[in-house]
Amino acid sequence: MWRLLALLVGGVAILAAAMLISSVSPVEAVKTLILGSLGSRGAIAGTLRETTPLLIAGVAVYLALRAGLFNIGVEGQLLVGAAAATAVALKTSGSAGFMLAAAAGVGAGALWALPAGWIRAYRSGHEVITTIMLNNVAVYFTGWLLANPMKDPQQQSPTTVSIDASTRLPNLYSHPPLIINVAIVVGVTAATLLAIWLKRTIAGFELEAVGANPRAAQFAGIDPKRTMLLAMTSSGAIAGLAGAVQVLAYEGRFYAGFSPGYGFDSLGVALLAGNNALGVLPASLLFGILAKGGTALQIEGVPKGITTVILGFLILLAAAIRYRKVNAVA
Amino acid sequence: MPLLSVLVLTLALGAPLILASMGGYTSERSGVINIGLEGMMMIAACMTAVVGIPLGPVAGLAAALVSATLLSSLHWLVTQKYSVDHVISGMGINAVAAGAASFVFGKFADPKHEGGVPHLSVWIYYVLAIVAPLALWLYTQRARGGLRMVAVGADPEKSRLMGLSPGRIRFVALFATGLFTGLAGALLVSDAAIYTNNITAGRGYIALAALVVGGWRPLPTLMVCLGLGFLGSLQLRFQGTDVLAVIPSQAWASLPYLVTIIALAGFLGKNRTPAGLGKP
Amino acid sequence: MQGISKRFGPVIALEDVDLHVEPNTIHAVVGENGAGKTTLMRALYAAAPADAGTIWLNGEAVHFAVTKDAIRAGIGMVSQHYAIIPELTCLQNLMLGAEGSTLLNLQASRKKAEALASRMGFEFDWSGPASELSPAGAQKLEILKLLWREAKIMILDEPTAMLSPADSDALFASLRVLASEGATVILVTHRLREVIDHCQTVTVLRGGKLVAEKPVAETSASELAHLIVGSEMDGGVPVFTSQVGGPVLEIEGLSVTGERGNVALDGISLTAHSGEILGIAGVDGNGQRELFQAIAGVTPSTGMTEIRGMQASSTAQRLQQGLQIIPEDRHEEGIVAEWSLEDNAALGLQRSAVLKSRGRRRWATEVAGLFGTKYANLSQPMSSLSGGNQQRFVAGRALASHPSLLLAFQPGRGLDIHGTQQVYQRIRDECESGACAIVVSFDLDELLEHCDRIVVLNSGKLLEPPKGQERDRTSIGRLMVGAG
Repeated sequence: MWRLLALLVGGVAILAAAMLISSVSPVEAVKTLILGSLGSRGAIAGTLRETTPLLIAGVAVYLALRAGLFNIGVEGQLLVGAAAATAVALKTSGSAGFMLAAAAGVGAGALWALPAGWIRAYRSGHEVITTIMLNNVAVYFTGWLLANPMKDPQQQSPTTVSIDASTRLPNLYSHPPLIINVAIVVGVTAATLLAIWLKRTIAGFELEAVGANPRAAQFAGIDPKRTMLLAMTSSGAIAGLAGAVQVLAYEGRFYAGFSPGYGFDSLGVALLAGNNALGVLPASLLFGILAKGGTALQIEGVPKGITTVILGFLILLAAAIRYRKVNAVA
Repeated sequence: MPLLSVLVLTLALGAPLILASMGGYTSERSGVINIGLEGMMMIAACMTAVVGIPLGPVAGLAAALVSATLLSSLHWLVTQKYSVDHVISGMGINAVAAGAASFVFGKFADPKHEGGVPHLSVWIYYVLAIVAPLALWLYTQRARGGLRMVAVGADPEKSRLMGLSPGRIRFVALFATGLFTGLAGALLVSDAAIYTNNITAGRGYIALAALVVGGWRPLPTLMVCLGLGFLGSLQLRFQGTDVLAVIPSQAWASLPYLVTIIALAGFLGKNRTPAGLGKP
Repeated sequence: MQGISKRFGPVIALEDVDLHVEPNTIHAVVGENGAGKTTLMRALYAAAPADAGTIWLNGEAVHFAVTKDAIRAGIGMVSQHYAIIPELTCLQNLMLGAEGSTLLNLQASRKKAEALASRMGFEFDWSGPASELSPAGAQKLEILKLLWREAKIMILDEPTAMLSPADSDALFASLRVLASEGATVILVTHRLREVIDHCQTVTVLRGGKLVAEKPVAETSASELAHLIVGSEMDGGVPVFTSQVGGPVLEIEGLSVTGERGNVALDGISLTAHSGEILGIAGVDGNGQRELFQAIAGVTPSTGMTEIRGMQASSTAQRLQQGLQIIPEDRHEEGIVAEWSLEDNAALGLQRSAVLKSRGRRRWATEVAGLFGTKYANLSQPMSSLSGGNQQRFVAGRALASHPSLLLAFQPGRGLDIHGTQQVYQRIRDECESGACAIVVSFDLDELLEHCDRIVVLNSGKLLEPPKGQERDRTSIGRLMVGAG
C-alpha cells in the first residue's frame, strides 16, 4: 500500500512542479480543466465528441485484454477502418451508405488485426511488437492512399473530399452549441453488449478463461489459439468501427493526422476500466474530459503536454493497482 | 563520389537506430520488455536542445543521458518493484516522455533563438554506435556481468536459485538502456542541429524491430540497423529521380516494419525471444 | 536446525522440526509426499526461509535471509527441477553465480571444470548448450556446480527420480566419495532402499512434524515404512470385486513427439474398460505426462483414440463424450486462481448439460461439498483456498458430474491420507456404476492399493507385467526401471 502511495505522491509532486513552472496555480488549473470540459453546453458537446472514439476504441482494447492480449494496434486498425469507411461512403449515399461504410470499416479493422492475432496464436510472436509494426505500416499505407487514389485534387494538404451529408450519422440532439450525435449511443451500446456477452455467454466465459489461464482453459476443452485469433480480430473490427464512426459522425472525411493518438489513449481507457466492460464508460469520459479540458488549459498558457503526462501517470498508477503480476508462491 | 556519400548517409541513418537498439538489447536480454525506447529517445533529444542551447554541447549531452536514465530507472521501478506488466509500463513511459518533452520544449525553448543546437561532432556518436555492439557481444561472452544478465533474462527463477539477484542485475541493464537511448536521442538533435516536435518519428520502435529481426543478438542487430540505414540512404539519394518512382516512398518506409512482422512469424529462422522476457 | 516452522497461508507445512546432521555423512530425510521434506530443505537453503526456528552451523547460530547467504556459508542444493538454464552452455551454467572474477577467464575455468569432472569420473562437452543434456547429465552438472562452489553441505532433493538404476548407483558412488573427502550430504528421498543401502542417518517427517531421527544401522526398511505412514497399513493387497464391462477408451498406435523433438510416446496401444481403475506406473519422465495429455486431447498425437467407440478429436469433444480430468498441476491446468469458486466449478463443464439443469450456484455447492472443500462463500476467489482444498474442489468437479471416463494424475496430491482415501473411494463408486478411470502416479504403492490393473510406461513404451505377477510389486518395479 505504501508503495502505491509513494507512486501517487510522486506523480502529484511532478504535476504540481509543472504547474508552478507554468506559473499557473494548481487550483486554478483544475478549475480551468473542469470548466473547459463540463462548464458549458458547448464544452459538454466537445467532451462527448472527444469521448466517442475513445469509448469505442476502448471497448476494442478491452475485449482483447480480457483474452490476455494487448492490442496496441488499435491506432492502425482505426486508421484503415476510417479510410475504408470514407472510401465506401464517398461512393454511396443515404442510410444504406453509412451502413455499408461502417461495415467496410469493421472489415478493414479486422483484416488489419488478423496477422497480429495469427502470429500470436500460431507462431508465438508477441502481439505487442507486431501491432506496433502494423500501426506504422497503417500510417504509411493510409498516407499513400491520401497522397494518391483518395486525394482531393482541389486541396493542397492530403485529404479526401467530404462525404455526402445524407451518408453521415444523424444527430440525436441538435440545439447548438449542444449537439449530440448518435455515435455516442453506438459506443454505449458496444460497451453494454460486450459486458453482457462476457458475463452471460459461453463464448464470453471461454474467452475470459483463456485470458486468465490459457493452460487451464485448454484442459477445459477451449482452444486458446482459436480464441486468441478471434479475440484479436474482433478487437480490430471494433477499432475499425471506431474509425468509421469518427468519419461518419464527426469528421466527414479522412485526412493525414486523422488520429491524434486514439489508439494509445484507448489503451489507457481499457486499463482504467477494471473488471467490467461497463467500466470503459467512465474511463473514456475521464479521458474525454482531460482531452477537452487540456485544450482549455493550453489557452491559459499550460502546454498541452501536461495532460499527456497526467495520462501516463494514470496508466502507471492504474496498472500498479490492478495489473500487478501475482508472484507465484512455490 | 556518390558511393562515399551513400556510405556516410547509411551510417548517419543507422547510428541512432544502433544506439537505441543496443539500449533495447541490454533491457530485453535481462528480461525486461521495453517498448519505452521511443520515449527515452524523445526526452533525451528534447533535453539536448533545451539544456544545450543555453549551457553548451557537453551539458546538453549530459542532460540527455541523465533524463533518459531517469526514465529508464522509472521503468525499472515500476516493473520490478511494483510488478506492473512491462508493456503497460512502457506505454506509460512513452506517454510521460511525449508529454514532458512537449511541455518542457513549449515552456523553455526560446522562440527567438537563432542558429542551431550546439553539439559535439556526430562522428563521436558514429564510432560509439559501431563499437557498442562489439563491446556488448564481448561483454556477454567474457564478463561476469554479461553472463549474469543473459542468465537472468533466460530464467529469473533459476538464476535466483543460483544466488543472483535479478532486480539488481536488471537495474544495471536498464541503466545502460538509459545511456544508450540518451546517446541516440542526443545524436538525433546533433545530426539535425535542430530540435523539432516528434523528432524521433518512431525510431524507437524501428530499433525494437531491428532487435527482433536480429534475434536479440548485438552483431546481427547492428547489421540490420546498417541495412535499414542503407535502404534509407538509397531512398534519399534517388529521391525525385526515375530510379525509385515505381515504388512509392511509403512502401520503402514500411519495409522494416513488414520484415519484422515476417521475422516474428518465424519465417526468418527460429524464434530467439529470451525465455524469461517479462517474467518477475 | 532447531524448531523450524513454516506456514503457507493457512497451511502449516512445518511445525517445530529439528534436524541434526553430522559432518562427513550421508543423511537421509524421508517422508510421504507433502510431509515437508522439500520445505525443510528450502528453508535451510533460504529459498523459502522459515518463519521460526534457528539454524546452527558448526556450533554457531546463523541466519540466511536470501539464498546467497546460504551459498556463502557453503550450502548447496540440487532441487528436483534442475536449476540449469538451457540457453547457456554447460560451462556457463557451471560458473553462473560463482564466476570468480569480473572478467571471465575461460581457459582457466575450463581447466578447473575438467579437473572437477574427471575427479568424479564425469565427461562433458563444456562449450555445448545445456539444453542437450540428458536428465542424468543435468544431474551430474548440478553436482559439479556444488563442487565448483566448494559446498560443504550438499542437499539433494529426490536426485534419483529421473535416473536409471545404473545412473543412480553411479550417483551414490560419487556421493560416497564426496562424503569421504569432507562433504556432508543431505538426501531427500522417498525410496527406502536408497536409505538402507547408502545413508548413515535418517530423519523421518510426517505431516510437517518430526517423527524420528536415528542411525540407519539401528533401523530397518519396514520400521521406516511404518514411521513414514504412521498407522499400520491394512496388510495384503485388497481384493477388487468390480465387474469389468466393455471398452471405454481404446488407443491404437499412439505416438507423441516430445518438446525437444524426441519420441516421448512410441506406438502405445491400450484398452480400458468400464468398471475398472487402470493404473499407469513408471518413473517420472517416461512418457506419463505425454500419455495423460494425449488422452486429454491437449497435445498433438498420431494414432487412433476412441472414447466409447467414437473417434475422439478435440478436448471439447472428448469432454462431451464423458471425459473428466483431474490434472497433474492443479494451479496451472485445473483452476483459474483469480476466479470465484462458482466460476471455477463451471470450468470445463461450460458446455455440458449438468450446468444447464442445475444452475451454476447449485452445481458449485455440489462440487465443493463432494470432498468437503472448506470455503466461506462461493464468490471468494479460488486463490484464497489452500492447495489441499483446491485439490478437493478440482477432484469434486471431475467426479460430481458422473464421468464415463476419468483421467486423473495423482488425484490425492496435496491431500492427507484420509482425503486421498475419500477420493479413491468415490472413483471406485463411479467405476462400480459403469465408469472407467485411468490413474497416473509415480507412487507404485498408491496404484497397487487402488487399481484393478497396472501397466508400466518406460521410455515411451507401454509394458504389461507378466501373467501371474500382475500385482507383484517387484516385477512391476523391474519394468519401471527397464530391468524387466
